[in-house]
Amino acid sequence: MTTETMTTKRELPQGIGRLSTGWIAFFAAMVAVTVVGLYAYFQQLGNGLIVTGLRDLGTGGGATWGLYVAYYVYFIGVSFAGITVAALIRIFKIEKLEPVARMGELLTVVSLILGALAILADLEHPWRAIVNLFEFGRPQSPFFGTFSMVIAGYLFASLVYLYVTSRRDAARLALQPSRFQGLYRFLAAGYEDTPEQRRIDRRATFWLAIAILPLLVIAHSTVGFVFGLQVGRPGWFGSLQAPGFVVLAGVSGIGNLIMLAAIVRWATKTEKRITVDAFAWLAKLLLGLLLVYLYFTAVEILTITYQASAAEQVLSDALLKGTYAWIFWGAIVSLVAAAVLLTWKALTRRWTIAAAVAAGILVNIGAVAKRYLIVVPSQTHGQLLPYPIGSYTPNWVEFAVVFGLFSLGAIMIGVFMKVFPIVPLEEAEQ
Amino acid sequence: MAKYAMAINLDRCQGCRACMEACKIENNTPQAVFWMYVFRTETGEFPDTKMSFMPRPCQHCNNPPCVKVCPVGARFRRGDGIVLTDADRCIGCRYCEVACPYGVNYYNWRTPTEAFAAYDVDFTDPEVEAVTGGVIPPYKNPDLDRPQGDEQRMTAGSAHSVGVMEKCTFCVHRVEKGLEPACAEVCPVHAIHFGDVEDPEGPLSTYLRERAGFQLLEELGTDPSVYYVGGGPPTAETREIERPLTEVQR
Repeated sequence: MTTETMTTKRELPQGIGRLSTGWIAFFAAMVAVTVVGLYAYFQQLGNGLIVTGLRDLGTGGGATWGLYVAYYVYFIGVSFAGITVAALIRIFKIEKLEPVARMGELLTVVSLILGALAILADLEHPWRAIVNLFEFGRPQSPFFGTFSMVIAGYLFASLVYLYVTSRRDAARLALQPSRFQGLYRFLAAGYEDTPEQRRIDRRATFWLAIAILPLLVIAHSTVGFVFGLQVGRPGWFGSLQAPGFVVLAGVSGIGNLIMLAAIVRWATKTEKRITVDAFAWLAKLLLGLLLVYLYFTAVEILTITYQASAAEQVLSDALLKGTYAWIFWGAIVSLVAAAVLLTWKALTRRWTIAAAVAAGILVNIGAVAKRYLIVVPSQTHGQLLPYPIGSYTPNWVEFAVVFGLFSLGAIMIGVFMKVFPIVPLEEAEQ
Repeated sequence: MAKYAMAINLDRCQGCRACMEACKIENNTPQAVFWMYVFRTETGEFPDTKMSFMPRPCQHCNNPPCVKVCPVGARFRRGDGIVLTDADRCIGCRYCEVACPYGVNYYNWRTPTEAFAAYDVDFTDPEVEAVTGGVIPPYKNPDLDRPQGDEQRMTAGSAHSVGVMEKCTFCVHRVEKGLEPACAEVCPVHAIHFGDVEDPEGPLSTYLRERAGFQLLEELGTDPSVYYVGGGPPTAETREIERPLTEVQR
């Protein structure tokens, strides 16, 4: 028994099973946003994608991939965080990060589900898409990697990892009478936390972590290949796309995990468990990835401007000083600001949670903007034949669906927090 | 097996767009969808400008990027070189559209009825109905609703059904009958030639052998089956002289 559960006797730790007014208000708000998103989605399902701001490129003068694809890429990117952090903890035994491991795994699972839903929202016939992918799937298409690698392999592996690392807490909570006792007993599935079982578990999670890390690099690379292998669109083709996607995935994912950890710490009153040290660790990891990404961005800008072809020139003008300049420079400013803030904190060694969270928010603004910029401008301004310059503005349907996805994710995490300890329980012995 | 290809003589093309019209009638394409499109472009500064025209059907590449990226094999290349879309299999992910450097793909954003209602004709007007017999579009090519070729797949694209991709088919339903595509047949100045490029003595091979030509965006390695003769490829200075129907579609 932990000290936490001992003192509260019959009550479960971390406010599980008790609904505060704050939580109910949060839940109701999220449900409302999700319902608006669903309403927008059914509009689209009934009338066709004509209700969105998407149009044909070329003579259509629009972008055929827009906000949905940008957020699909973003959500898949966010999934990077959890499983990486969890795996790093297992492999390098970083104990300070232990309390944020489970919420990281949860973040991975939730964001992968959201990524899958975002791409299904982009399809007029989601059901036909699922059936045909099973029946006729072609591994030669980079999109196939999205479905096989990312959604099947990576999501499944992450779920297994989340389960295996949560089993011990389920076993311990099952000992205590509560309204979820049956659920915990079911989840524990015979696990009794004996030294032998614990040894096996530790070994299993270690090897699972080792197996997931390459899977993660491959999965995020396939998303990069969706764009990086296409010669037909200026701004897409390049060998830097796949590694760039992996690194920006890490940046947005760790940034998200920092924000989630701060919220969980406040909501579950686990200030003693999730220490400033944990945030410092995450922030340092974020800084490392962010500096690599900024380097990639500098290389990219130089490549599209130094001796660009005429078509690339049109694109880089639109990015650097034209239609998309405010998004591009907005992204650069927020990423650089986060890097400066983190570097300053790293040099002075005075980490604060507020600084880490601020950096997390900044890098996510930058990441969303960069995802949008990889998807859209190459369609509207990346024509190789003399088509007119196109334009694309996402409309309310697309925004409603995307916000609906975010709130659906918040609901999933919020409900999880009310049925299971999102911060692993403290070690009983030792 | 034949290997179909097209030669388009840019010195002959006068930009009348009869081929676009013929294509629309033959394939019943909805508003703002141009399986065949004719660029009307100009270069230079006033008063030293030069106008040129360039028809743009699907290039039916021998190394087609759209076929490579299709996650379900709905976009495929037949043995005779025609690149087609199986409307029954397409999931509408639009990857082919972003992968194609030529911009020849059109997605069915709306249901066919709505797509045709978008023309500036009220098909429900009793006077119009008296002529059309209540059919939208007023003329429907029955060949398009039939499966085509050895594969017997729904590739002629008549359904224009919502949520799937469509593009120029080289008029596969006509080719199957031994006819030329509609654009080639209707061209008043005989700028569009269609035929078997692997028959060394055939008219198309002879035509191409006698003239210097180029393929569009050759440098990308897509190896189109459409060869342009005369004129020249568009350059960075080439600009379109008109804005197409995009605003109407929006």
